[in-house]
Amino acid sequence: MRCNDIRERLVDLWEGEGTVEVRQHLTQCAACAGYYRDLRLVRAGLRLWKREEAPEPTLGFAGRLVRQLGEMSKAPSVADFFEQVGRRFVYATLVLTFLALLALALPSTGPVRGLSAADIQMPGQEASLAYSDPMGETGLQESPDLAPVEASAPAVTNEVK
Amino acid sequence: MENSGAQVAQEIQWIKRAQQGEPEAFGPLVQKHQPRVFSLVYHLVRRRDEVEDLAQEIFIKAFRAIRSYNFQSSFATWLSRIATNHCYDFLRHERASRVSFYWQMGENSQQELEANAESQPEHVLDHEEQTVLKDLVTKLLDRAPENDRKILLLKELQDYSVEEIAEILNLKPTTVKVRLHRARKRMLEDLRQWREENKGHAV
Repeated sequence: MRCNDIRERLVDLWEGEGTVEVRQHLTQCAACAGYYRDLRLVRAGLRLWKREEAPEPTLGFAGRLVRQLGEMSKAPSVADFFEQVGRRFVYATLVLTFLALLALALPSTGPVRGLSAADIQMPGQEASLAYSDPMGETGLQESPDLAPVEASAPAVTNEVK
Repeated sequence: MENSGAQVAQEIQWIKRAQQGEPEAFGPLVQKHQPRVFSLVYHLVRRRDEVEDLAQEIFIKAFRAIRSYNFQSSFATWLSRIATNHCYDFLRHERASRVSFYWQMGENSQQELEANAESQPEHVLDHEEQTVLKDLVTKLLDRAPENDRKILLLKELQDYSVEEIAEILNLKPTTVKVRLHRARKRMLEDLRQWREENKGHAV
């Protein structure tokens, strides 16, 4: 059996002393005997730790703990407070953001919005309005020049009123 | 047997009440499991002064998480899992540096200690020898990767079975066996390597 196999077996056994074959090898191989010595040293150290007794809980440990748990479950913790405040802050921010987005998304004209400053046409802007008038009431589709625009300006102003 | 059945039923009652937020019902659970938790913490952290504080934190954590306990494993195993994780969180933050007494011994004293550890039961070693040996093992444990160390400590110091360790660490029993073998082997290799490194430093 090779040294590696012997060592594997020793580690596998850990607590035991090995088979006759292993023991025989240990008497003939100084390196493996050293390995086994180390194993026993480590094992002895671990056993010492195992025998070491943990400290006892101080008197009334469980009672104090239960009282502490009781207080913790009654009083809202600082974390809870910040969680509540934080949640409100997040809600408020969301509402404000939604309103801001709504304001940006709404068309600047049209029935949803009602009349705005943009609806009050300045004389210079009338040309484009008149040109796109689908009813052709202004009669300017064929010759879109500036002259009739001036004429139609009062009509728009009346509409505003 | 009947008594043990009644105890289990009683424990289930306490757990169910604690799950409904009754700290009073958690008290008997603390009473029952505190020796195990204290022992586990002490062996994992190996610092006497920290044990009670850590145990307290572990029980508080367990109470807060008790609704997640689903009775699949035993309550002791579930609690051991919380304790193991908590201790390792603590250790990650507080790596204690210790003096390596073993390497400060003369070569003759080292050989004497080795011979004593071989020929005598550990408790016959004198106090100084015990301190040295424990320190040596502590050093070797500290060098081991965290996952291997957990298994080694649960097995060697807490006497948990492979199956119990598998449950605590959420591993397969075969994985635990393989890692245990590897961890033991690594300790021996580390010791050998360390001895080589410190040959010139022995006083």
